[in-house]
Amino acid sequence: MTSRKPLLEALAGLLTPDDVLVSCLGANARYLPHLTVPAPVFALCDSMGAAIPLALGMALQRPDRHVVALEGDGSLLMCPNVLATVAAARPSNLTALLWVNGHYESSGGQALPSAPVDWVALAKAIGIEHVARVADVASLRVVFPGARAARKPALLVLDVAFDPNEPIPPYSERPDEIRARFRIP
Amino acid sequence: MTLAASVPDTWIGTLMRTVRESKKIRALDAAREEEAVAIACGAGLAGGRGAVLIQNAGLFNCGGVLAGLVQLYRIPCFFIVSYRGDGRDPVYYHAPKGRVTEPTLSAWRVPFAIAGRAADVEGQVVRGVEAAVESRGPFVLLISGEDLA
Repeated sequence: MTSRKPLLEALAGLLTPDDVLVSCLGANARYLPHLTVPAPVFALCDSMGAAIPLALGMALQRPDRHVVALEGDGSLLMCPNVLATVAAARPSNLTALLWVNGHYESSGGQALPSAPVDWVALAKAIGIEHVARVADVASLRVVFPGARAARKPALLVLDVAFDPNEPIPPYSERPDEIRARFRIP
Repeated sequence: MTLAASVPDTWIGTLMRTVRESKKIRALDAAREEEAVAIACGAGLAGGRGAVLIQNAGLFNCGGVLAGLVQLYRIPCFFIVSYRGDGRDPVYYHAPKGRVTEPTLSAWRVPFAIAGRAADVEGQVVRGVEAAVESRGPFVLLISGEDLA
């Protein structure tokens, strides 16, 4: 199973100025200020489950941009209903990446409820039109451009290794700074 | 407004029927109220203006996203919330929600107003939107079914 950082670095390299990136709280949001991302970034530091609906609102408002949402399995487990909302809205410019590590990493690494959730099957069953699993960096480099080109609501499920000793940097930007800097040209 | 995200009840459903006829406002059906808040915020962050149309029962679900998204990031977000269980609501089982609606909003430090037909609902909506924009935060307009008649 691939660790988070190389996947996130590869994703940053795949983004363009025509993309918009919305990150869930936690490790992704904490790494992003240390990466070169050529797209506007809105990173959450709270509000689990808000990344995908936030990205949906942006995608509907700006159909000329491809909006990418990063969400964790713990967050989506709280509100999988949002997948139905996305399926109903049918944005052609929204790709959600679900980082599945089975843990609430930000809150101390507690395990999620030990249900064997099949996110790919769930997303398909609820009506997400483009669903794919990402096993490693090489597959991300194929699957992500494919999702963007599909012009359908997309969910990519990334199986990510959980490392309780991963040296994740702390939050380095305050919400008001993130909010003030965020602009979609 | 450019987008109205909603989870309906009887009264909000009536209002959304009108919204759906609008050529300017995108009506967005959400499965749950917290999503509607984030969707409206996303529209706002992307250059539009988002509104949230929900019942007060759904408003009670939104404490986390109000604090952790709307207030933390200072995003204008206008709500129209059906005030079930207020003195004018004929349905008895809504009464407990009516009793805690205003205290909840006050505790969350969310500014609100109570609409009234005699007081020009349209003007109250305009002022509510302006209040959300100027304060860069949430503003809730509580409405009764009578206000929609």
